Amino acid sequence: MHAIHTEDLTKDYALGFWRKRPYRALDRLTLDVEGGEVFGLLGPNGAGKTTTLKLLLQLVFPTSGRAEILGRPTGDVAVRRRIGYLPENPYFYDHLTAVELLDYFGRLLGLSSADRAARIPRLLDQVGLGAERRLPLRRYSKGMLQRVGLAQALVNEPEVVFLDEPMSGLDPIGRRMVRELILGLRDRGTTVFFSSHILSDAEAACSRVAILAGGRLVSSGRLADLLAFGIKGWEVVVEGVSREVADKLRAGAASLTPIAEGRYTVELPPSARPDQVMAEFSSAGASVVSINPVRDTLEDFFMRQVAEHGHAREVRL
Amino acid sequence: MTAGRIGAVAVSVFRESVRDRVFYNLLLFAVVLVGASVLVGQMTAGQDIKIIKDLGLAATSLFGLFVAVFIGVGLVWKELERRSVYSLLAKPLRRTELVLGKYLGLALTLAVNVAVMAAVLYLVLAWMWWTSPENLRAAWEAPALDPALLVAFLLIYFQLLLVTAVALFFSTFSSPMLSAALTFGLYVIGHFNADLKHFESIVESKPIVWMLRGLYYLLPNLAPFDVAGEVVHGQAVAGGYVLMTIGYASVYIAFLLAAGAHIFARRDFK
Amino acid sequence: MTRSRASGSLAFGAALVALVACFVSLEVWRDRVYGEPKPGDAVLYVRSGAAVRRMSLSFAPFVSDIYWVRAVQYYGATKLSNSPAKSYDLLYPLLDITTSVDPRFNIAYRFGAIFLAEGYPGGAGRPDLAVKLLQKGFRANPGKWQYLQDTGFVYYWWLGDYKKAAYWFDRAAAVEGAPWWLKSLAAVTLAQGGDRRSSRALWESLRETADNAWLRNNAAFRLQQLDALDAIDQLTAAVKTYEARTGARPASWAALVRARLLRGVPLDPTGTPFTLDPATGAVGLAPESRLNPLPTGQQAGPPAFPPAPAR
Repeated sequence: MHAIHTEDLTKDYALGFWRKRPYRALDRLTLDVEGGEVFGLLGPNGAGKTTTLKLLLQLVFPTSGRAEILGRPTGDVAVRRRIGYLPENPYFYDHLTAVELLDYFGRLLGLSSADRAARIPRLLDQVGLGAERRLPLRRYSKGMLQRVGLAQALVNEPEVVFLDEPMSGLDPIGRRMVRELILGLRDRGTTVFFSSHILSDAEAACSRVAILAGGRLVSSGRLADLLAFGIKGWEVVVEGVSREVADKLRAGAASLTPIAEGRYTVELPPSARPDQVMAEFSSAGASVVSINPVRDTLEDFFMRQVAEHGHAREVRL
Repeated sequence: MTAGRIGAVAVSVFRESVRDRVFYNLLLFAVVLVGASVLVGQMTAGQDIKIIKDLGLAATSLFGLFVAVFIGVGLVWKELERRSVYSLLAKPLRRTELVLGKYLGLALTLAVNVAVMAAVLYLVLAWMWWTSPENLRAAWEAPALDPALLVAFLLIYFQLLLVTAVALFFSTFSSPMLSAALTFGLYVIGHFNADLKHFESIVESKPIVWMLRGLYYLLPNLAPFDVAGEVVHGQAVAGGYVLMTIGYASVYIAFLLAAGAHIFARRDFK
Repeated sequence: MTRSRASGSLAFGAALVALVACFVSLEVWRDRVYGEPKPGDAVLYVRSGAAVRRMSLSFAPFVSDIYWVRAVQYYGATKLSNSPAKSYDLLYPLLDITTSVDPRFNIAYRFGAIFLAEGYPGGAGRPDLAVKLLQKGFRANPGKWQYLQDTGFVYYWWLGDYKKAAYWFDRAAAVEGAPWWLKSLAAVTLAQGGDRRSSRALWESLRETADNAWLRNNAAFRLQQLDALDAIDQLTAAVKTYEARTGARPASWAALVRARLLRGVPLDPTGTPFTLDPATGAVGLAPESRLNPLPTGQQAGPPAFPPAPAR
């Protein structure tokens, strides 16, 4: 049994008021996610990520194909007791406080009052909403709502969690919190299925990804396999470089850009290996400040995939 | 368990109306009624008790109508507009249960509203009775603290329940503005409904007469819920009549909720 | 899968239809046991026309239409009602609001006056309110000589005040654009007030000039009533002759036919036989005749046409 299973899942929306034109938001998606996996659904905006999640939660109904969660069809209400969902840019009820919202959802999930009393404060602490928990949600910022959204997705200690753009609206500290949360869920054996249009989010947490573009699955597999060939070179910042050393470096590098006194950015070809680079620079008398791989953005990757596979959206807005 | 979930939704609707200061209308109601009773007492002789009853029942109906329509059309729509429905429906809650819970929550709000208004009216009437001389009391058609008023309040409540169901029904597939307009439209038609049937006295064409007759039976008929005219004059309202009217409301509400839930259960929440 | 869904929808549709059938039958049942809600039964909450006009904002013409329909329905339903204590109390307020909201509502003044003036129980029996409504109409529309003419009619026909009637016909004639014969109508009214001939002239003038079918039909109806009065006079004379000849009252019309005083059972202008009371010899309209009730105070002139014979 897969944690999540879709088969030729397809969704057409009708556009236009008078003359309805079909618009294919998702085209024959077939996907399996195993239990305990952290699975990333990647793609640029409008790729069909949110549609996929809404189909899995049955917020929209498929035009054709089918989907299962924990071996049950998505229409099964009982299975929702075992899942959690964070919508994109979540919004809740203005008049409730975070505690009341979680309590309300806890009731709907059939949690006992003892469970609710024990879990809710702990969860809110975990997502970093300690002090504001008694504030009505209308006074929350976007980032705080995102945190409440995470908390409500986890209140039933779900077996499968769906997170739609969980990092959006968060500052770097918040992003790290989400990353840690996801890894913590993974350690407990929870399946995490999340969508993002930012590659680094996926890199930091995912075991496997699927990439969508124009409503179609472009590729899926381990992120490293998909993107390894995507490294275009290395960018190294070095310090304490004398003029002679700089001349020597210029010979081997693709480019050498001075930043400040004695500090340079060096671009190296993709064939370079970081450990060797470190060693070479040290022996040349320069100290390395940072080494970063220069890679395709997800957009570059999509563009190339589209060019290679000839996938293009059949009907566009 | 289902009842538990519906109940949780209903309680949340009730809590929202409390927090959104819906019950402030009760304050206005009390001020209007007390103010009117003072004024009327100065201006008319003898009939003031009837006028206060008229006013109290009419205001209960009108204030309740505004609560029923304006909250009713937003019940489901607000969830969609603010996207709170996404996280809500990811919980083990059927869409039908959501619709029913929303409806029951507003029904509870209206029940509290009407009950408090009835209490306020009785208080004002008690005060008027206390301050009226014996010879004035003798001229009243109906006693000041007439329990028959409760029948009028009961039917007003069921009328409001029906209006709420209409509002909720429309809001499962259209915008709140349109839903409110349609609901008010049906409310007005519902009161002049009897005219539809009697158009045959001025319309010649048979098909039109039959069509109007059909509309009379199909559209919600709200006029029978207004028994204020009988009650304030101390005329009895038959128990069977009240039961049949309540039965009519209940079946009509069941129809509207079933149809509304059915539409809502099939919608895509884009 | 598709099949079970289709049959599910069908079952649901059937359930909805069953619910509709249920509430409709409850409604029918209640109406049967406790009577249908009557239109116009409702209270008229706001009785001030000015207030209604202010409340109707830019929808005044439409609002006035609604009140006019209510007035007509109220009048119609009350007229048809068999209740012994029926009342036309709301008729004038409804008409007053209609014409206050839309002061140029011509039909509301003219028909409204007829509804109000007509004798109870066929109408409100309030010629005074009819005059009030017409006067209001003329104040709002000073070119409408018809309202003055109608005022004259109310005085002539329903109040029997020929002087006032002549005065109003005269006033009507003075309005610019009024027809020339109004002047002579005033003169005839003054000279032969209460005479059936002048009545006939009045209604004929209205029948010829009315711009509206309903007003024309109303005039034709009044003329038929006058014909019926003439016929009753003739028949009474025939009964008298029979009594003089035989010394006994006729038992039926057949007796008069046998005595060759009549050619057949006499019918009124609507085709309903006249009645003959064998005890008193009084001739009258059948109770079921549409011409009831006949106007009073109309003195006989020379016969206009002989009573219609039956086959």
